[in-house]
Amino acid sequence: MSANGLVCFTNCLLPQEDGGLILKDLWIDERRGVILDAQNTFFERKERPDRVVDLGGNILSPGLIDIQLNGAYGFDFSIYEGDDEAYKNGMKLVAEKIVETGVTSIVPTIITQDKKLYPKLLDLLRPFSTPTSASLLGWHAEGPFIDMAKRGAHAPPFLLSAPDGFASFEETYGVQNLVDSEDWLMNTDGQCGVRIITAAPEIKGVMGAVNELVKRGVVFSIGHSIASSQIATTAVVQGARLITHLFNAMPQLHHRDPSIIGLLGASPHLSVPVEDFPNPSSPTTAAMLSGVTSEAFDYVSTTPTKPGAMSRTASRSELHLDKGQIADMAFDRPYYDMIVDGIHSHPNSVRLAYSAFPDGCILITDAMKILDPNLRDGVHEWRDGKRFVKEGDKLYLEGTNTLAGSVVTLDKCVRNFSRFTGCSLGEAIKCATFNPAKCLGIENQKGTLRPGADADLVVLDRQGNPVSTWVKGRQVWSKD
Amino acid sequence: MRLIIRDDPRAVGDYIANYICKRINDYKPTQERPFVLGLPTGSSPIPTYKALIKLVKDGKITFKNVITFNMDEYVGLPKDHSESYHTFMFREFFSHIDIPPSQVNILNGNAEDLIGECNAYEAKIKAVGGIELFLGGIGSDGHIAFNEPGSSLASRTRIKTLAYDTILANARFFDNDISQVPRMALTVGVATVLDSREVVVVVTGQNKALALSKAIEEGVNHLWTLSALQLHPWALIVVDEDATAELHVKTVKYFRSIEMVQEEVERTQAELKARGVLEAGAAEQQVGSME
Repeated sequence: MSANGLVCFTNCLLPQEDGGLILKDLWIDERRGVILDAQNTFFERKERPDRVVDLGGNILSPGLIDIQLNGAYGFDFSIYEGDDEAYKNGMKLVAEKIVETGVTSIVPTIITQDKKLYPKLLDLLRPFSTPTSASLLGWHAEGPFIDMAKRGAHAPPFLLSAPDGFASFEETYGVQNLVDSEDWLMNTDGQCGVRIITAAPEIKGVMGAVNELVKRGVVFSIGHSIASSQIATTAVVQGARLITHLFNAMPQLHHRDPSIIGLLGASPHLSVPVEDFPNPSSPTTAAMLSGVTSEAFDYVSTTPTKPGAMSRTASRSELHLDKGQIADMAFDRPYYDMIVDGIHSHPNSVRLAYSAFPDGCILITDAMKILDPNLRDGVHEWRDGKRFVKEGDKLYLEGTNTLAGSVVTLDKCVRNFSRFTGCSLGEAIKCATFNPAKCLGIENQKGTLRPGADADLVVLDRQGNPVSTWVKGRQVWSKD
Repeated sequence: MRLIIRDDPRAVGDYIANYICKRINDYKPTQERPFVLGLPTGSSPIPTYKALIKLVKDGKITFKNVITFNMDEYVGLPKDHSESYHTFMFREFFSHIDIPPSQVNILNGNAEDLIGECNAYEAKIKAVGGIELFLGGIGSDGHIAFNEPGSSLASRTRIKTLAYDTILANARFFDNDISQVPRMALTVGVATVLDSREVVVVVTGQNKALALSKAIEEGVNHLWTLSALQLHPWALIVVDEDATAELHVKTVKYFRSIEMVQEEVERTQAELKARGVLEAGAAEQQVGSME
């Protein structure tokens, strides 16, 4: 404890928002739990920290953020057994234990559910934290508006289309869980917890709902989808901001119709459809969206894409002379998240994606309830009577070779990512801190060392292994 | 005047840091009787600050009972601007040592009444008993603080317009855009510096060589304001080899020879003090062969 409540971390490398690491002190206010503007504190408040923590040359990073976590330590966010108290205890358990992996913020993710369970589950998954735990930032619903063809481990009977557009989303998730509020984003008094919805834009009615979801502050993420390049691009123009577990549960990269993965290379040459997206109830649109799938998905029936199949209405008429500038992008490329466990994506694929669009890269674990750094390999119970098999960082549905999420920890993903791409540890850290925070629009409060941000921190050694974790200015975990 | 020549800027920094450390520790400052130190900004003092920081971290010196006054600050530049002298001092020195923020004084270039600010600064220096040791650097035109060529050698803390030379030199810190460089600064005067009981000036690099020669080998001249140091009874200039390029060989040899004499005098005095031969009070005084 510091006599005046201020703490100075010294002899440490601070990750910067450009991926750099610089030797610099960090001052925090442990009473308010925030990062301080050190110079301003010195000259204006006329105070300096009474407590100095020498980090011995280690890295002092913003706490890691996992925007796709299905469960951990035996608790599955997707399983509700009729007992609110037990469920809340499970949330608390995960939040308090996950800090040992350097994670201080998570977006609990629920996979496709029986429709009638959603209102209850999402209501329980409002933002939550304790003074010694990671923050649950609200929920990520992966499904049920996803494509049967790319359902992965999601239960087929529960998949839905959205015939009434946004109204179908409201009906499924519960009107109160999608409340339209200006300031819900960083609201931690539990008013509303929607953060991310993963859906397939080619599913009937989904595309027409994107715009309204985005207006309500929801991050619309494309995933479990076979959207063609055109549909995927349209979804981004409508406001889709993220791609869920890139490479997985989506068509492979086909050079003539690169589909969702191709968004990472979105070309300024192909402009976006200029017309507003039509009403989802219009029959022509519905036909287009339900009938069109990526040619890459079904290679046998592929016919070469004809030139002009993409509209080019706004493409550039003049070439430019400014080296390093990519001009005339009509929209921002979406963020994309990757499970960097060495299984869900080959290291070459990871590097390929990162090279294409470094600023959009987000690391996730997509970990299942058996995530626990100390758990043994073998067969474990899952849900709906199914079981899965854990082999190291691999996790399969029993009796299949279908990957069922992962058991990798986010700190390990950071280390893997640095190895796979060859990027610096600082650049890898950025993909698990600043990038996800920016995707969620909370980069002033989480995933950053900006003055005023929450003092949620993780100390990593120079090999990226967590040494200690701090939440709101207090140490909540230490290796020793 | 004493002139100490060292091999390179790092050795110069080490020498000055050890010197200041010794002066502060000999002074035995307390809250009631603090040591008052004047400080510069710029590239020349950085090795000194680095060495002082190390001495603090090694527990050889504390700044708990030191009061500092900085030489100058730009007018109209926000305090947290990356090029402000507040930012410089915090980044290069104050954040790394143990000085209480209330004991740090830097001119406020954003004060509504700039002249009032300058007068209050002078008054504050007087109120704490004057400056014990003023550390300074010089510009390539021989200016000390922002006392550009032509400044009155009797000047006090005031508003100064920067010389075109200085603006050009500073443009590199402002995206090479001259229009972004502040045109005015608040600075202590030449007389403010000369009033301190001791002045230590760091001069390193070949580009400062002419200024050094003008300041110590020619007469007192307001076009090389550092030359006013010739009128100070207890001044020390520490330079590197590069900075001596314009000096006469004779000058360099002279100062090299008296450095050893100074050490001998100090040693003798210390022995006398230890044996109790010196009168009470004499031990507090500066000793030397070179004033």
